[in-house]
Amino acid sequence: MTLSTSATADHIYAHGLRNQWHAVVPSRFVAPGGMRKVTALGEQWLLFRRSDGTLAMLADRCPHRGAPLSLGKHLGDRVACWYHGVEVETDGTVSSVPGLPGCNLEGKKLVTSLPVREVSGAVLAWFGDEEHPEPGELTLPDPLTDPEVDAFLCYAEWNVPWRFAMENLLDPMHGAFLHHESHTMFEGDTTAKFRIRETDRGYFFEKTDQRGVNFDWVELCRTGADWVDLSIPYPPSAGPGGPFGIVGMACPVDEGRTGVFFWRYRRVEGWQRDSWRFLYKTLIEQRHWDVLEQDRVMLEAMPADADQHENLYQHDLGVVRLRRLYRTAAEAQSA
Amino acid sequence: MTDPVNGAWPYLYVHQSRTHEPSPYEYKLAATLEQVFTQEGHELADVVRGLNARQVHAADGAPWTEESFRAEMNRLGA
Repeated sequence: MTLSTSATADHIYAHGLRNQWHAVVPSRFVAPGGMRKVTALGEQWLLFRRSDGTLAMLADRCPHRGAPLSLGKHLGDRVACWYHGVEVETDGTVSSVPGLPGCNLEGKKLVTSLPVREVSGAVLAWFGDEEHPEPGELTLPDPLTDPEVDAFLCYAEWNVPWRFAMENLLDPMHGAFLHHESHTMFEGDTTAKFRIRETDRGYFFEKTDQRGVNFDWVELCRTGADWVDLSIPYPPSAGPGGPFGIVGMACPVDEGRTGVFFWRYRRVEGWQRDSWRFLYKTLIEQRHWDVLEQDRVMLEAMPADADQHENLYQHDLGVVRLRRLYRTAAEAQSA
Repeated sequence: MTDPVNGAWPYLYVHQSRTHEPSPYEYKLAATLEQVFTQEGHELADVVRGLNARQVHAADGAPWTEESFRAEMNRLGA
């Protein structure tokens, strides 16, 4: 069984919240005819495509003896376990037990199957617990659905707890220090006052005395999936189109690992869009990557108990708020 | 190009948007374009003039026009 309702709040807080959508891996990681083993929320999963190209996601565990289905064979609209050939359909139903035809496993839905969607180059899955298997509503991040906005997805895997990755995003002040030596965040005051501003889908954490200069604000959005939106100015070398934005998501892989998804987007059209895309692919993507590596190096070096022994100040209100929100949700989802 | 999408953790790969390693022509055009955006401005006419003034021309050696620049960006930025 997967994602049981008996998990403790500590387990859920460490391994990721249930009953919401999470980005899992980039779409291109799951090739037609191929199978992709994925760890998410501390569980093992299998992603593969049906013959029509649509995705299926199953618990990576044969209902017979528990062997990983990901070691088996892709048979178009079902998979066959390598161990004894048991065949499982995309909805988790056992379609065939070749060693004992007519065996009572056949026709039973014995494998957890997660609802999946592909969004702007990423696979999103609904991680419901036993009481909430049906997918909840998902409102996609508006920058990813706006036809006047162009975006590139950057995906990376970090050896950090998912909460640290999210907290980093709700802490805009680190931009002026950690990313001072970067192509985008070298300007702006190194002191600031922040405020929290509620929205109907989450909250803004923003500077009160500076905007459009550094990483000056961030919005946490809870719209079926958790994501952040933020904006950072480009230098004039990036050409027309103004600042770039980031839609960020984090996949809790397990208690110590996180898959991070950053869509770098810009409101650009026509030749301006084309020239940004050309520059991005040729020169800018590397610079964005260098900034991301600064985050990874810092976060991976943080002790596992970093959030247990702190002395916080006003700039940490966004983080404190986030923790309280996630902790409360984990308590509510636990037995 | 090779892209290590084989499931090995961690996936840390800089160039996720590229379909090929840029050619010397593409690197030179991109670097000059950044210089032009910085020094000349963001209007299409500024860009075409700036590239031509620096004699960084299209792959066929012809000076840029607004039309040829748009077409080349469309090809390279797709």
